[in-house]
Amino acid sequence: MNRALSGLYWLSLTLILLFITLPLLVVVAASLSPSSAVTFAPSEWTFKWYGALWANKWLNPFLLSLKIALVVSFLSGVLGALAAYAIAYEKCPGSAAIMAFLLSPLAVPQIVKGVAIVLFLSSAGFYMLLGTPGLIAAHIVLTLPFAARMIATSIYNFDRNLDRAAQILGASKWQRIRHILLPLVKPGVFSGMTFAFIISFNNIPLSVFLVRPGQTTLPITVINYMEYSLDPVLAAVNVASLIFILATIFLFEKLGGFSAQIHGGSK
Amino acid sequence: MSAVVTEMPAAAPKGRRSSLGGYVPLVPPLTVLLIFFAIPIGMMIGISFQDPKTAAWSLVSYEKFFTDNLMIAGLLRTLVMSGLVAICVTVMAYPVGYFLARSTSRWRAVVFALAIAPELAGVVLRTYGWLIILEDRGFINDALIWSGIVLSPLPLAKNLFGVVVGLTHVVLPFGILAIMTSIQGIDPNLEKAAQILGASRLSVLRHVVFPLSVPGIVSSLLISFTMAASAYATPALLGGARFKVLATMIYEQIMFYTNWPMAAVMALVLLVLMLAFSFAGTRAETRLHKKLNV
Repeated sequence: MNRALSGLYWLSLTLILLFITLPLLVVVAASLSPSSAVTFAPSEWTFKWYGALWANKWLNPFLLSLKIALVVSFLSGVLGALAAYAIAYEKCPGSAAIMAFLLSPLAVPQIVKGVAIVLFLSSAGFYMLLGTPGLIAAHIVLTLPFAARMIATSIYNFDRNLDRAAQILGASKWQRIRHILLPLVKPGVFSGMTFAFIISFNNIPLSVFLVRPGQTTLPITVINYMEYSLDPVLAAVNVASLIFILATIFLFEKLGGFSAQIHGGSK
Repeated sequence: MSAVVTEMPAAAPKGRRSSLGGYVPLVPPLTVLLIFFAIPIGMMIGISFQDPKTAAWSLVSYEKFFTDNLMIAGLLRTLVMSGLVAICVTVMAYPVGYFLARSTSRWRAVVFALAIAPELAGVVLRTYGWLIILEDRGFINDALIWSGIVLSPLPLAKNLFGVVVGLTHVVLPFGILAIMTSIQGIDPNLEKAAQILGASRLSVLRHVVFPLSVPGIVSSLLISFTMAASAYATPALLGGARFKVLATMIYEQIMFYTNWPMAAVMALVLLVLMLAFSFAGTRAETRLHKKLNV
């Protein structure tokens, strides 16, 4: 009885993990298969689909997505740090209510935020903001709550005795922010920025309303293409952008050291 | 925003440093949220009360939404799809969450990475993967026809089945985290005590772990339901024109019909639905926690 039960448990665990990994394995396999129809068991392997990615058709959307994600990540870091500083460090009166407002976009589905922003830009006469500026603004609404919360958490965890010690030793407020607070909350800021980058780079539900011909992000280009064809070049695009995201996380981690202990990680 | 700056100092404790200065850093982030979030949402509510043709005040779009069979069918499809996804995710998340919470083997780190890593891949990659697995000429139908089990391809994509599979895959990591956290919070000594007193592994699971993990199950159901109901890309690609849900119908209203009031009404229905579910779910969770702590 017990053995049958634990057998069933391991079997279900294996099947569920297979379910989770299956689509990723299939996409990787498809990106290396030579025939243009995606088949069940390819007999040869090729990298030709990755070569096709250097065409402007894929390169331009990639560069646009990269540009938007970098700007969104930077601005989320700056705006999130400003908000977190006022709320968690200065602890100004009413900070709980302000934090609640900052987090309120999280309660609204992305598709609803997308509708609201596109209706606002169109009916208020800001047509010129559709495309890149609108995409950046919409993505920031999405990422700022996460960034502010992550940075606020790292300020709450920050040892205020270090700040007091510096104050007693005569450091000015700006010096304390620059040399004590910032280095110690840097991992929090970088994890917020990394998060913002990934969310922006992969976003669909907001971007789908705001792209314009010639200003289309990579995920939207891919889903538009998918409506007509499923050819393996899409598998290559997807695998390449996953590798790119993993590389970016690695790079941000090197710069910000957010996986290290806050005290041990940054000097 | 300016209201906050001018009103707050009266309430702030006087003395020491200027109490107004503390609010200055809040100006840029709150301005961004005000312009690109609060005002647009307010404007969308206003537009939902406009007549699509004359722009005069009217309830015509609300009336149409709740009387039009197509709209009601879309709403029902959204609810059925999200309910199925919530059940599938929670059933699949339970064994994985249990393993991650209780296992001490070195495979734990591997399973954790496998469970969470797909989240980095984004929805497009995963949806594309499911499409080439499930479509008429996809891997599964290819294998079934090649082996002679079926003669014509099974309809696995562009319907409820395909969307539920795709969304279950997208939402599963969140369900696993919810169940894992909940089981981690259960004192392992309770399980040991039951085992020492002679309970079999099955009855420990049934009478100790399961009842105590009900809050985790509720939060997994809740996260899955809300994520599924508001998802756009997966239903758009795996459901297509044949299986429309609220999110994809909202997109159609904006992009194809340019009926802004109708889109606004549909978006508000989705928003109210989400808020109601989150509210009811959080209340159920706090009540469960209180009950279990007694």
